Formats: sequence, structure tokens, C-alpha cells
Amino acid sequence: MNNPVSYTMSCLFVLLAHAAMLANVFINGNYNTITDPAILAGAVLLLDITYFTALLFFKQTSYTIDFLLVLVLNMSVIFQSSFGKVKFDGDAIKHYITAVTALIACRIGFIICRNYKTLQNKRKLIYIAIGICIVLILTLTGTRSMWIQIGPISLQPSEFIKPLFILACATSISEQQKKHKVLLFNVVYENIALFGLMAVICLLQWWCADLGSLPTFMAIYISAFLLRICYPKAKLSKKTYITAAAALLVVAVIAFKFAPAYVQDRLHADIWSDTNGNGYQQSQALIAIADGGWTGKGPGNGFLCNVVAHENDIVFATICEEWGLLYALMMIFVILIMLAVPLINPPRSYYHATMSAGVCAAFTVQMALNIFGSCNMIPFTGVTIPFISAGGSSMMVSGFMIGMLVSTQTPVLDNVKGQMRSSPKLPAKKQNKRPVRRQTV
Amino acid sequence: MKSIRRCQHIMSLFLVLFIAGMVTLVIKIQRESAFYMMNSDKHVLGMVYDRNGDVLFDGSLKEGDTSKYGENYFIDVGNLIGDDKGQMTNTLVAKNVEKLNNYSFSQGIVDEGGKAALYTTLDHKANRTVYNAFSGSDGCAVAYNYKTGEILVCTSIPSLDVTNGYKELGTFRDGTLMSKNLSGTVPGSTQKVSTVISALEIMGPERLLAKTFNCSGKYTNKSGKVIDCHELYGHGDLSLQQAVEKSCNPYFAQLIEDPDLPFEELKEMYEDLGYALNGEETEYFEIDGIECMKASTTLTDPTDFQTQWGCMGQGDTLVSPIQLMMWQSAIANGTGKMTMPHLINKVTDVKGKVTEKASTKYSDRLFTEKTAESMKQILLTNGANNYAYSVPNHKIGVKSGTAQVQNGDKENSLLVGFVDEPDFPIAFCVVLEDRNSTYLTAESITQTMLDALSSQAN
Repeated sequence: MNNPVSYTMSCLFVLLAHAAMLANVFINGNYNTITDPAILAGAVLLLDITYFTALLFFKQTSYTIDFLLVLVLNMSVIFQSSFGKVKFDGDAIKHYITAVTALIACRIGFIICRNYKTLQNKRKLIYIAIGICIVLILTLTGTRSMWIQIGPISLQPSEFIKPLFILACATSISEQQKKHKVLLFNVVYENIALFGLMAVICLLQWWCADLGSLPTFMAIYISAFLLRICYPKAKLSKKTYITAAAALLVVAVIAFKFAPAYVQDRLHADIWSDTNGNGYQQSQALIAIADGGWTGKGPGNGFLCNVVAHENDIVFATICEEWGLLYALMMIFVILIMLAVPLINPPRSYYHATMSAGVCAAFTVQMALNIFGSCNMIPFTGVTIPFISAGGSSMMVSGFMIGMLVSTQTPVLDNVKGQMRSSPKLPAKKQNKRPVRRQTV
Repeated sequence: MKSIRRCQHIMSLFLVLFIAGMVTLVIKIQRESAFYMMNSDKHVLGMVYDRNGDVLFDGSLKEGDTSKYGENYFIDVGNLIGDDKGQMTNTLVAKNVEKLNNYSFSQGIVDEGGKAALYTTLDHKANRTVYNAFSGSDGCAVAYNYKTGEILVCTSIPSLDVTNGYKELGTFRDGTLMSKNLSGTVPGSTQKVSTVISALEIMGPERLLAKTFNCSGKYTNKSGKVIDCHELYGHGDLSLQQAVEKSCNPYFAQLIEDPDLPFEELKEMYEDLGYALNGEETEYFEIDGIECMKASTTLTDPTDFQTQWGCMGQGDTLVSPIQLMMWQSAIANGTGKMTMPHLINKVTDVKGKVTEKASTKYSDRLFTEKTAESMKQILLTNGANNYAYSVPNHKIGVKSGTAQVQNGDKENSLLVGFVDEPDFPIAFCVVLEDRNSTYLTAESITQTMLDALSSQAN
């Protein structure tokens, strides 16, 4: 711990933010007895303090993302516990547990992903893990669906493919130079594998008639693809850019043209002419946002909690209604800052850079799909806002992905523990000029 | 490090695109939130006022509550102002209900003390006077200031008082739930104004005014069909001025057939005036959101009976009274451009802040100033020669019309025109339905309307 003052101040800031939210719950909230918000407050503050303490056991260069993560997770817990009426039972406890899971997943993600060499050497395992997820979807979901039901728990294996896909993109970045002659073509095996993987994911989503997550995978793939173009020895030319853009355009046009009927319906839906049918959720969401205004109707005072999927698909609107658009924007702002940390403290290797870009792409696209979809700016899909929407799989995976982001801030390079070594892929002259940043928060 | 920076650029791209989307979303929500709320069951409507502050609609009134304003207080403009109940969809309130909602994104719904209101250009007192002038007969009357575009009178009978609700819906007479000023009606000889404008524009005033055609009481056109004149023994040789004053059908039938009036150019002029020709899909123009039907007629062949009949305003020709009135504005202001009418003068939001204010707008030029001046003179001469007695107090330019409807079983009487006085620039159209069933005339209603408006103006 290089700067304990800064660490303490950050803890206080997070506690203060949550205390302010809880004060709003106490003053403006709709609850039966004072015990309900009191239990919620206890749970939130306990999780804060426990995580702050647990962080002390992890030696990191920066803790910024960790503080932001616990800030946003407990914000989410307070939101989810307030929908309809402030209480800490049933679904609220379930969400609290998933929040704890997300924090644990973050730690696991950090430990696994910080070392470039470890994953680089075992990247076959990543492909195997993706394969297992795909097989699980094909075999265990029963019907053509993305969900696996194990007792009371529903799992969505396609969610788990997201971080694995990012890792597949990141670990293969250094293989760009290894071209192999196949017939008349010079090919890079890893690129072929990634393209094949993307194609399989597309087919799988098509088969499950659930194309909601497809844009997220596409965003990860596009960011990885762009980074391959930017790779040091890659030949950059206008021709490359134009070809890539044209290919993307053709794929998009074909995809829209031959999209299934249910997708076409959503592309051309007029929600206000069908407010009791397909447009029900979106129209209710927009009415709720309008009703909430800037400052909201108060925790637990909304009506959107009576609408299906208020806690995940249209969660942005539910928060806007009860807490106000201003608060909902602040919540999104916190997530954006979390994603923007690698812009302030840049990654040290292409592996970490690719990982950061993948996580950033996945999160922004997922948030865009959820928020803009529920507000009728784009077709409505059933994806979640990371950390805010309820859902175990999403929380766990989002936590893991933030762990990947944390690992880019405290990387282990050249497999030497605890030391900041430059990546072998960076030119020697430039890496020497770069000062090693040290920051606590 | 260049590549790491590129990676950061890619991340920045995703973040910037997302932030741009969020900014768009916030703007969208700000702009559309009133519309969203109108789709919920939670809204508190404000007031609609006339030009003198008189109430035309009160959103706080409960159905059947006549204690505040009295019985049938709103009936004169009831089917124009309307309400939000959904029975009438083409009304001022129905089309502007979002602006009338006492809601703002920052304040939410304001149950009491909200100041959302539509301040209209209508004159409630004059409308009531005109409504009463119909004395139980059906019809409609519309008048506006052709310099500013403010609609002052727009009444249509039968009408309803929206505070009475719709429990007696089954007993409502046809036309109760719509303002007839907005719908197409057979224009009768008022259509001849369009034909004369077209001929003046194509042939030029000098050539047209020099022409004469003979009326012997009936005219057999080039396709062998007979066009009758209302004057059994004919009018003899007629100039254009005389033909307009006498409303002589044989004159106009011969004018349509005249080779000096190329038929294709005539059609083009009609289209420029806004007619949908020969079964084209009917279009609408908007007055503060309210849809008003555009004119339509049949023009297929200059020697064809239906075409000639259409140019005289019979057959399947349909024009809304408001459009007839708007053409008068293009003549009266001498520019050939219509003054576009409007009903809303200003809109205030829940805090009473003016959010919209009307301004005068004009159409594209429909015909030249020379044509406008000639047509104006023809109508003023007609007014001076034939209406000085029936509409005595104003210098008016007019054209009357008799429209045969319901296969000739009934005749509607129309009068379109304008007042040529700098301080009282009014264009108008009056339709009196089934003129043979009443002692009233379109002229008497026009006189009442102009007197009511001038007394208000003074």
C-alpha cells in the first residue's frame, strides 16, 4: 500500500456515496417498517467494508477500478432492493449474493488474466472452454434456448463465452507474425480460428433464435480485428481499412436483409401503435422515465416494477422512474469511468491492450443495447446492463471481465511476479522512455 | 507505444459513440416526454382560450359539469376545438394534446395551478353569433384575416358541447363530430373563381377580358352534351365580368373548349392551385396539426361534359370551405400567394412560459400579381353590383355558388369572398346547406358574421 491516505479517502468516498443513497431511501422511500431499509443499509455497508478489507490482501498498483466496482455494485443492490417497495428479501437477497459473486469473480479474473505468459501457453484451454459452453448450450438447454435450468438456478452459458472470447482474441494477438503457407495463401492459424469461432457463435445464436448478444460478440471481434490491423508489423494501408469497412457493411446489409421474421418485426416496430402488445415494455419504460423526471418519484414509488423484466431488460427505466434520470446517468457514468481507466493508465502490452478494448467494447455495446433498446432508439433486445440488471450469469461474467480490466492495471509481464517488466513485443527504445507509473488509487 | 495508443483510440471510439448515444437519448427524452405522458393514463389538461381570453376548452371540467360555464357554452366551436376523449380525432385539442398537458420533465404532472394553454386566434363571441345566425339550419362558416392568417370564425353546424359527453352519441346528427370547414364539399359556381384565375393566368387578362361568348339558355358542347343555363332565355353575348356576375354556365363551357385556353395548361394551373385531378389520392394540408382536405376534380378532356361540369363546380368536384377561403386571400392581398391560416396564436407550458408563437406564413405563388389584380377587380365589381344591398356595410369582392348535392335533391348555397378594407382584411366562405328549406341566405349569414367581426375589431 503506497498511499494509505488515498486508500482511506477512496473507502470514505464510496461509503459516503452509499450513505447518501441510503439516506434517500430512508427519507423518500416507500417501505413498511424502518427495519426494511435498515437491513438493506447494514448489508450494503457490510459488503463495502468487507471488500475494502479483502482488497488489502491483494497487492495491486492501482485500486481505482475496484473502488468503482464496489461503488456500482452496491448502487445496484440499493436500486434492486427498492423496486416497488424497499425491502431486503427474496430477489433483493438473490441480487446481493450475485453482487458478492461478481466481486469474487473479479478477483478470479484479476488473478487469472494478469499474467500474459500463463494464458498464452494455455490458450488451447480457452478454446476448449468455449467448446464446452457451446456443447452445453446444444445439449442441456433442452429446447432451442440459451438457458440451462439447474434446480432454482438458471445459467446462461453464452454469457460465459464472452470473457473467453476476449481472452482468445487477446492471447492470440502475438501470433500475428506467424504466417503459414497453406496451398497458395499465407495464413495465420489464430486468425482463422477466431473467425471460425465468431462464425460458430453467430450460428449458435441464430439456432437459439436469440440474437440479442450477437452485437456484443461482434463488437469484441471488431475491436480485436482492428487491433490486429494496428499491430506493429501489420501493413497498414487505406486499402486495408476500406476493405474491412466494406466487408463489415456487406455483412451488416446481408444480416439485416435476411434477418428472421421476429428480428424484422422489432426493426420496424412502432411501439406506440401496439402499446398492449409488442410495444408494451418499451412504451411503459418511456412513460416511466417521463414520469420520473430528473429526480424520480422516490425509491419504491414506481409503477414499472409491475412490468415484466423491470429488473433487467428495462432496468434503466425502472431506475429513472424511482431515482430520476440524473441518478441513472450518474450510475452509467461510474461504469464508463471504470471502462475509461485504461485510457488514463495505459496497458503495458498488446495482450492487456486487446483485453481492455474487448471488455470496453463488450460493456459499451451491452449497455447501449439495453438502454437504447428499452428507450426505443434501436430494436429491443433482452441483454443486460452489466452490474445493474439482475441475473447471476451476467453479474458473474461482468465481474470476471472487470477483473480482466483490473489485471491490465497491475500486469505481470515476462512471468516475473511482482515486477513491472515491459512486454517483449514493445520496441526496446520506446519502452525505456516510458516512466513506470505508480499509483495507489 | 503507437499501437497501445491505437488500442486506446479504439476504446475511446466505443466510449465516445456510447456517450453520443446517451446525449441523443437525453435530448430525445426531453423533447418527447410530454408525448410519452399523453400515452399514459396520467395527464392533466390545461385550457384553450379565444383571442380575448374567453375559455374554449377547460381540461379540468368533469363530464356533464355545466355549472361553471353554462349549457352549450362551447357548442359554437365544439367540433373544432374537440377534446381528448378519442371520439373526435381531427380537432385542435386532439392534435395538440401534448402541448396542453400540464406536465414538464423537470416538474412532472402539475395537478393544480398548471398554466399549459393554447391561445387561439378564434373570436368566441363572433363564432357564437354566427352559430346562432344559422338558426337551426346546417352549414358552416369560416373567416380569417388574410394579412395575418388568424382564423377568427370557424363554426360548423350541427355541433356539440364536449362537456355533455358522448352518452347520446347515437342521437347525434351526421356531421356533428367534424368541422365541415375542413372537409370537401361541392363548391358550385364558387369553383368558377379557380377557372377564371386559370384562364387569366394562361391567356392574360387583356385577351380574356376582350373575349365574349353567346348564351342562348343552353349550350350543346362539342361532345354533343347539353349544358343548361339557369337563365332560360339566355344571357346573350357575355364578357368575362358579366359571365362571372351572371354565373353563366354556357359561357364557361365555351371557355373551356376555347383553343386559346390549352387544356394541358389548364390542368397544370389547377394542380398549382392544389387540386388532385382525375381520381388521384386525396391529400391533406395541416392547420396547427388539424388535417384539412385538399380540393379534387375531374379534368380529362375539354369537350367532355364532366370536365366542363367540374370547372363549374358540380359533379365530383370537392373543395373544403377553408381552401376556398384561402384562394380568396391570394386574390385579396394582390400577390397570388395564399396567406396560410392558423388557429394557435401562442402556446404556454406548465409554468406559463410561451413556448410557441405563431407567425404569418404564405404559400408559394399560385398565380401572378396581374392575375390577382384582375380577379380582384372582377369580384369587387360583382360585390358592388350585386351584393351592395344584401351585404351593405362592407366593400366586398364575392362569388356565390349553388351546389347540387344528393343527386340534385338538395342545393347548398355558398358565398366566398373578401373584404377590401385595409383595417378589416377578412376573407371568408359560408356554406348554407339545403337552401330551399330555410328563409336564410348565405349573404345574410355573411352579413351577420362580418358585422360581428367588425364590432369586435372596433
